Amino acid sequence: MNLRSPLTHRNVLRGAAGRTDATHGRTHDSHAAADSRADATHGRTHDSHAAADSRADDVRAAAGRRANGPIVRLTGCAAALLLASTACATVPSGGRVVSGRSADRAEQADDPYVRLIPVRPKAGWSPEQIVSGFLYASASFDDDHRVAREYLSGNTGWQPGARPAVTVFQDRRFAPRIDKMSETQATVKVAGDQLGAILPEGQYTADPKRVEVSFELTKTQQGAWRITGLPPEVRASLLLTKADVDRAFRTMNLYFFTPDQQQLVPNGIFLPLANRRHLATHLVRALLTGPTSWLSPAVKSAFPADTKLVGDVHIDKDIATVNLSGQARAGDPERMSAQLSWTLRQLSDIKQWRLRIDGEEIAPEGHDETQPIRSWQEYNPDGQLSEEKESTETPYFIGSKGQFSGLLSGKENPLWTGLAYRLARPAASPDKLEVAGLSPEGDKVLYSDKLPSATNLQTLLTSQQPGSRFTPPTWDRNNQLWVVETARDESWLWVRKRGQRFQRVEHWGLGGREVLSLRVARDGVRAAAIVKVDGRTQIQIGRIAYDPSGAIDAGAFLPVSSELVDAKDLAWRSFGTLAVLGRKGGDSQALPYLVPVSGSAITPLGIGALGEPESIAASPGAPVYIGTRSGDRSQICQQQAPRDQYSEWSCRINGSDPNYAR
Amino acid sequence: MPAMTSIKRNVRRGLVTFRRIVRGATRRLYTRWRRSIQVRVVTSTLVISVVVVALLGVFLQLQITAALMEAKTNTAVGQLDEGLAAVRRDLASSAETGTRPETVVNNLKARSGPSGLYEVYIRDTSNEFVDGWTTNELRQESVPRRLREELRQASAGARPGTASTYGTLSYNDRRSERGLIVGGRAGQFELYYLFPLTQEQKTLTDVQRTLVGVGVVLVVLLAAIASLVTRQVVIPVRLAAQGAQRLAAGRLEERMRVRGEDDLARLATSFNDMAANLQDKIGELEDLSQVQRQFVSDVSHELRTPLTTIRIAADMLYEHRDTFDDPSVGRSAELLQSQLERFESLLADLLEISRHDAGAATLDAESVDVRDLVLRAVGDSQTLAERKGSKVVLQLPGEPCMAEVDRRRVERILRNLLVNAVEHGEGEEIVVSVAADRDAVAVAVRDHGVGLKPGEGQMVFDRFWRADPARARTTGGTGLGLSISREDAQLHGGWLQAWGEPGVGSQFRLSLPRVAGAELRGSPLPLVPLGAGSARPLFAELEVSE
Repeated sequence: MNLRSPLTHRNVLRGAAGRTDATHGRTHDSHAAADSRADATHGRTHDSHAAADSRADDVRAAAGRRANGPIVRLTGCAAALLLASTACATVPSGGRVVSGRSADRAEQADDPYVRLIPVRPKAGWSPEQIVSGFLYASASFDDDHRVAREYLSGNTGWQPGARPAVTVFQDRRFAPRIDKMSETQATVKVAGDQLGAILPEGQYTADPKRVEVSFELTKTQQGAWRITGLPPEVRASLLLTKADVDRAFRTMNLYFFTPDQQQLVPNGIFLPLANRRHLATHLVRALLTGPTSWLSPAVKSAFPADTKLVGDVHIDKDIATVNLSGQARAGDPERMSAQLSWTLRQLSDIKQWRLRIDGEEIAPEGHDETQPIRSWQEYNPDGQLSEEKESTETPYFIGSKGQFSGLLSGKENPLWTGLAYRLARPAASPDKLEVAGLSPEGDKVLYSDKLPSATNLQTLLTSQQPGSRFTPPTWDRNNQLWVVETARDESWLWVRKRGQRFQRVEHWGLGGREVLSLRVARDGVRAAAIVKVDGRTQIQIGRIAYDPSGAIDAGAFLPVSSELVDAKDLAWRSFGTLAVLGRKGGDSQALPYLVPVSGSAITPLGIGALGEPESIAASPGAPVYIGTRSGDRSQICQQQAPRDQYSEWSCRINGSDPNYAR
Repeated sequence: MPAMTSIKRNVRRGLVTFRRIVRGATRRLYTRWRRSIQVRVVTSTLVISVVVVALLGVFLQLQITAALMEAKTNTAVGQLDEGLAAVRRDLASSAETGTRPETVVNNLKARSGPSGLYEVYIRDTSNEFVDGWTTNELRQESVPRRLREELRQASAGARPGTASTYGTLSYNDRRSERGLIVGGRAGQFELYYLFPLTQEQKTLTDVQRTLVGVGVVLVVLLAAIASLVTRQVVIPVRLAAQGAQRLAAGRLEERMRVRGEDDLARLATSFNDMAANLQDKIGELEDLSQVQRQFVSDVSHELRTPLTTIRIAADMLYEHRDTFDDPSVGRSAELLQSQLERFESLLADLLEISRHDAGAATLDAESVDVRDLVLRAVGDSQTLAERKGSKVVLQLPGEPCMAEVDRRRVERILRNLLVNAVEHGEGEEIVVSVAADRDAVAVAVRDHGVGLKPGEGQMVFDRFWRADPARARTTGGTGLGLSISREDAQLHGGWLQAWGEPGVGSQFRLSLPRVAGAELRGSPLPLVPLGAGSARPLFAELEVSE
């Protein structure tokens, strides 16, 4: 639509002249004449030919103007109008730079999801087809499994509900086959490899085995086969494949308090994402139900027992309203609010929320009735630190001359002058008073309670079993020191309260496995470990529970990821993410990866060569440091832009074994 | 029931009032419409510009909608092509048949983009147990059956293409919205992309709102311009009309102001030239008639002195007519006497009329009962009437009819009328009626003589006009009587009008205001006598009122 391009400069000028002509009337003609005269004389000095041409042009133009003045005037007008209008209608081709903010950290629940559209049972389907159709249809959560119910007949008592238990199969190659069949009755058997199961509370437990279930079918009076008897595995649950679960379920965190009620602990659960609108309701219901059986011994919920959600979580614009039943009056509104805030903030469409008990608005002390979703930072599972704000924490490490060092404005700052090459894998306590580490051989746990200037090291623990060694020591937020003594297919967990001796933990879930690394999370409740299972490393997460008698239970460990075949070291990047050094599928050497505790996909951290990474240090809001070795040189690497996950690694500090105190 | 009727009555009354108001408003508007060029021009400009702007707006809206939809469809088809390519890639890369749908669906989930941009629906035609997968809350009914059919037919053809249509996107627990749906086939998969058109709808609504706003402003602006332009034209025209009116009313010195050099200025100049010429001509004519009047007056006066001498001589001759031997001489003396009387009265009339012409006639008004004047006049003409065999019938009201009039002049008028009636009455009865109302008194004199031909009603008042020039003059009227009577009536601010019909007779009506100098609005007596002339419309004598 741009008319300007086919017109020459001259034409444009003439159009403009036409416009002024029309507006100013007769007086303009003399102007134009003067202009053309000036043009002509000007031209003559340079190029007489051009001057003559232009004069001839002008004369012709003038003659034309005289002959059909009004027409020229009108066309001039029209041209000017068209030019003006097209100038307005063009898309801008330049202008100032407008800066914008990228969207908030996308939560996993915001990802698009895919729903399966089931098929209703068709007339003339055989019993096998009916069973197949039912298994497919049960993966659709729409309208409370309405379509799947059409495959059933009679009183099967099938009631999957909004949060069903799920038996997870490897894949769908479980061809149904007819076991027995009469005129009106049939039994169809389905066999497959079970991976595990999701309990109604949302906890997934791995339980690989071969399963065969049988369905009873009856021919109805209309001549169609329908399922009348469900196997016990399916009666109260769904039979889904791994792909179905991946599609229809999301892992979401519920937040509960540590036993001392100082910090929150995330509890990852599987929640069916049938409809994003009901996600808040399901989340709050799950939170009120309490922690999963795995975590429940280790945490406390602020909600009194039997507290229920009244109605749904109502979301108006970006304000959610949570209405609890009267039992909640017995609870502490602050802690309940903290738990709800942290749980609801996973849904990015909620920015604020209100707490109601029996319809009455409750304002926790020091807060408005409408609370921002990001309040209650004091109960952050990461303690005082947070992934969202810059941290001033710097790591400790073994410097270039083998001394325990700190980092001062990006440079090595040796803290201890002596004791060179005596300590490896140092770990400072969160209050930065004590330091523990291993001997270079890894068979002794060394210790000093004078972090700023130690002159000698104390041996706290020596390996008890022949051939065993220790994992790098790790501190929890109560300044307890944890260390695993491990040998091939054997391990023991040791714990030391401040000022006391190391004690072995009786309930240790990984006793039969080799443990490569153990790190206690900043909430002090969870611990992540790299475990060798059948020759492959697996990242597992466990919880530490304390009996009223003081006995420690570190029994239940759950696998998080076995994608990294050769995991070496790990660190808690934040309460939901581990930074792990490991080798994925085709990698030739270990690289750092971010492994979400929820079991979602792992993502690489940074790009570029690292040599042979050996240890990793991470802290919320602080750069990740990796101790590497290439040949004889030990270096510590960090990302050039620590806030950018895909920024390049650069190794400038000579040293090894970095570790954060907090 | 009474309540009902009262309500009904009220309603009816209200309706009537409303109708009256509406009718009144319509009439007023119509009057304004008829009277004012400006109103007409502005109204027609409004109507035409509303129509044009509405047409333009609809056209623009259609154009914009079409352009927007085309752009959207192009983008959508582009997206779909990309999606289809991805599906084909996945098909090629996943060797195992069993994982195919899952791979494709996972891929699709990744590329469905942030919610709100578009939704995806994919179908695996080889899987009879699943009717496909959709993203987010989208329901499968969103893909219309006709699009599926179209795709199935297209895939049967040589080259599988894409198809698009508009439809309603329905969701789980969310309001459905309009959308664009494009679909295509790749291998065993049918892929549909569903684009909500909420943003486009919003844009179009905004555009429409803008167009309406601009249209209204444009129409108002056009009307304002039309009003301004017509004002600029109408005001000079109005001034010209007023000038012409004043000129017509006799103010010959009236001129228009000439401003600028435009057409209106030329009009003003021509008008002024015309007025000047008129004034000159009228001045000349006035001067001429002044000279003539003066001449008549002078002649009359000059004739009077010798006439007096002649009169004395004639009187003497007349007194001694019997003494002449020759009887023919005596007869001549008689003739001389009578013609001298006639000559004298003619001269008096001439003087009187020249006084009127000169504007020298004055009104000597006093309050008089008009009935007395009538009686006196009838008494004066009684002898003449008896001689002609006419009977004079009087129709006088019982109460006095007082009016401020010049007794002498009114008597002369009445006498003239009576003499005229007797003269043309053919001996028939003559009816004299008097009537009065609040503002005026009227005297009508009716005869049943030859009457007047059409058009003669006006001519009777002309000087020296005679109904039948060949007719013998028995009473010896001067031919100026009715003219003078009319001048006298006008001096009173009254009317003197005549009606007549051949063979039926005629009637003269004198209407005078009760108060001298007051304006006369109507007459208490009809000009056409009752029972006469009903067969014919009133004729032009009504115009004589001036």
